[in-house]
Amino acid sequence: MLAKVSSATLLGVEGRPVSVEVHVGAGLPGFTVVGLPDTSCREARDRVRAALICSGLTWPPKRVTVNLAPSSERKMGSGLDLAIALALLAASDQLPADALADLGCIGELGLDGSLRAVPGTVSLVDAMPTAQVVVPVTCAREARLVGRHQVRPVERLSDVVLALTGEVPWPDPPEPPPPPPEPPLPDLADVRGQPVARQALEIAAAGGHHILFVGPPGAGKTMLARRLPGLLPPLDQVDALAATRCFSAAGVGVAGGGLIERPPFRAPHHSSTMVALIGGGTASLRPGELSLATGGILFMDELGEFPPSVVDALRQPLEEGVVRVARARASVTLPARFLLVAATNPCPCGEATEPGACRCSDAARARYRRRLSGPVLDRFDLRVEVHRPDPTALLAAEPDEASAPVAERVVRARLLAVARGVRTNSALPGERLDEVAPLAPGAKRMLEAALRQGRLTARGLARVRRVARTIADLDGSDPASPLDAEPVALAMALRADASPLEAAA
Amino acid sequence: MTTQPDVSPPSNAEVTPTLFDDGLPSVAWWVALAGLPGMGPARLRALWETASGREAWRTVAAGRAHLIPEVGQLLGRTAEETSRRWARAGGRLDVGERWREHAELSVSVLGGAAHPARLADDVEPPVVLFASGTREALLGPTVAIVGTRRCTRPGAELAHELGLVCARSGIRVVSGLAVGIDSAAHRGALAAGADAAPPVAVVGSGLDVVYPARSRTLWAEVAARGVVLSEYPLGTEPARWRFPARNRLVAALADVVVVVESPRSGGSMYTVDEALRRDRKVLAVPGSVRSAASSGTNWLLSQGATVACGPEDVLDALGLADAGADDGTLLDPRPRPSGDGRRVLRAIGWEPATLDTLSRRTGLGLGSLAVALDTLEADRWIDRDGGRLERRAQA
Repeated sequence: MLAKVSSATLLGVEGRPVSVEVHVGAGLPGFTVVGLPDTSCREARDRVRAALICSGLTWPPKRVTVNLAPSSERKMGSGLDLAIALALLAASDQLPADALADLGCIGELGLDGSLRAVPGTVSLVDAMPTAQVVVPVTCAREARLVGRHQVRPVERLSDVVLALTGEVPWPDPPEPPPPPPEPPLPDLADVRGQPVARQALEIAAAGGHHILFVGPPGAGKTMLARRLPGLLPPLDQVDALAATRCFSAAGVGVAGGGLIERPPFRAPHHSSTMVALIGGGTASLRPGELSLATGGILFMDELGEFPPSVVDALRQPLEEGVVRVARARASVTLPARFLLVAATNPCPCGEATEPGACRCSDAARARYRRRLSGPVLDRFDLRVEVHRPDPTALLAAEPDEASAPVAERVVRARLLAVARGVRTNSALPGERLDEVAPLAPGAKRMLEAALRQGRLTARGLARVRRVARTIADLDGSDPASPLDAEPVALAMALRADASPLEAAA
Repeated sequence: MTTQPDVSPPSNAEVTPTLFDDGLPSVAWWVALAGLPGMGPARLRALWETASGREAWRTVAAGRAHLIPEVGQLLGRTAEETSRRWARAGGRLDVGERWREHAELSVSVLGGAAHPARLADDVEPPVVLFASGTREALLGPTVAIVGTRRCTRPGAELAHELGLVCARSGIRVVSGLAVGIDSAAHRGALAAGADAAPPVAVVGSGLDVVYPARSRTLWAEVAARGVVLSEYPLGTEPARWRFPARNRLVAALADVVVVVESPRSGGSMYTVDEALRRDRKVLAVPGSVRSAASSGTNWLLSQGATVACGPEDVLDALGLADAGADDGTLLDPRPRPSGDGRRVLRAIGWEPATLDTLSRRTGLGLGSLAVALDTLEADRWIDRDGGRLERRAQA
């Protein structure tokens, strides 16, 4: 007999619907799975067999063929176990055939018949066209986020079978407790002194401008970067769902956790491989760190230690907000819209920002600088030198502003950007700059002088205007009035090339 | 000198070729010897004092150099090994070919007429001297302007000014063509114009091996206007140990040595030692006590070097007066800053400052500070170097 059940498999961050067809017929007893299953799918035979027997059901001693349609796409993972089991039961008349109509299911089977969670629940459930969805209990919260389905959480295979045969109503198992609330984010008040760096953080948070910190070891670059998430507003509904999908698809995240509300903060180590960062690893084209940072912050500490190929690979995501990964059998577009924060030393010994204190040879310094290629450095709108904190500031009794008041200003500034029709000011297209960021005469003169003297390039001009717009928004000036000299001058000052001069010749 | 039967005493060797049976002048043999690996000025001189060119070559090529007592003493424990290396390198070299490679160059040997007088009388004279340019440039009052490669911008500007004024006053500027102070001094000397005193440079590599590569145009200009000297034949790569040797020549050629900026240890301090050995006057430029680049020069001042605050002090040390008026730099063409700009300029002082420090010193908000700094930068009062802002001495 033939039976069909809907399920899904994961590719990138999207789920792909899979129709599991099982045929039980005469012939030598055997079990074959077709439809390009990977090893995990093929192992389903042993899991399903043991689960069936432990649940008190019969394993049909017939020729069983399982087809995972569409047959030309690879199927990955163990999430199809439950579907195979249910279809097998229906095909061998242990379940009524119509019970599986309009039912989707995902879940891995343990040998004792219990159901286990699979990664990517949100995407998988989203891909299923059915009205009802059966999921393991631990995935129930995620499955409900999609919103379109009636979610049936179950703990074991026998529960599903009993409910489907109509003998017992659908179970309502206790769900795992929600995860404990996350610890509070680091506060900006911990940073003493550093007025320029604090201002730069505020501007980066408000306008979505990528920021680079350059400075000697111990200056506080990492500390500053970690305070940035505290300045960002919580994710809105759309972004939160997108972030949750990415985390779910990557298998990262708190088990039983629900929607991700805080902007994610990802800080990959500089020994990460290209694939770990960009994504596209394993057969399911897993999202990488860039995708996990979508809607939030990607912090690259020691930018100079990352392989140059990795740093160059950032160019497309920074430009377009997506990463296109193509492999032999499939290609996906992974989201990659994040705020990039990077920290680096100016040279191998780290002292080049202090005049005359650098102990590196010319060759070593040139080599180090080559790693940060011009085009990548150019993507940073804000390039700030961070110097070792002043002792008087460190020991001052009064802390500076905390994160909360700064975050409020950031929220107000972001609203102004949304009113302009863009997510953040950094996304303002060049053509609209004259309309949304017109220049007052003083500012125009200043920019002209800078362009003529070669202190600013044409591309730098557009970036300076965007940053100036954000600064003006933060100051609370009228969004309709032209930009004054002050925000423009500050924008230019914060974009100053933060790579130290070579020795004057 | 050891007596050997068929040796003509070195004092008879002249630039006008004294022909031996293979048609090569004796200077050719010294050129070949100077190019052997590990042949430094002291070892070469030891050979020169004991044999004529051709004899010395034959001894070295036969691997018997370590048997000459003075040479053996200099070579110390590795005498035999070095001797063998020389013999191997010598065996591969065609002396005539080598000599012909240098045909375009001016080559002089110690004892010859073309060898500069002040070097011939030196305590450690160079045996062979290769010159690109005019040797007449060496005649006249000479000042050495030396300093660190990692100088600050004001240091470079001062070196430029010293070079300019000295050259204009008829004083030859001698330096090492290194990046930093040396190059700045020579650029200043060149900027003084075609009828100013010619620049003199001494390098630690062959005259065709420009080190570092980015100084290529400067080398060519100095060679065209003045002279570039080297103790090593064409093709010699710069090695660490050749630079102190070069520094001694810089000190030897100068009447007065000025150190503009230097940390406590470095090539310039070696030049000072060599200058003191030869009883030359040493001047040092005082610098900020916070600047690492001036720690050496400040120390020299504490040890009794003469203070050099500007070109007048250098001319004073040479017993000359400043020739000619300034070229109009008395009147600064830059527009005077006003209001915020003036406050900020005063707050910068003469040391590099950061935005943070300026904001604290002036009490201005970052916005108004940025506007003031931009105007100052546009008017060339300050330079922006990464996150640091430095005051410019001149436009």
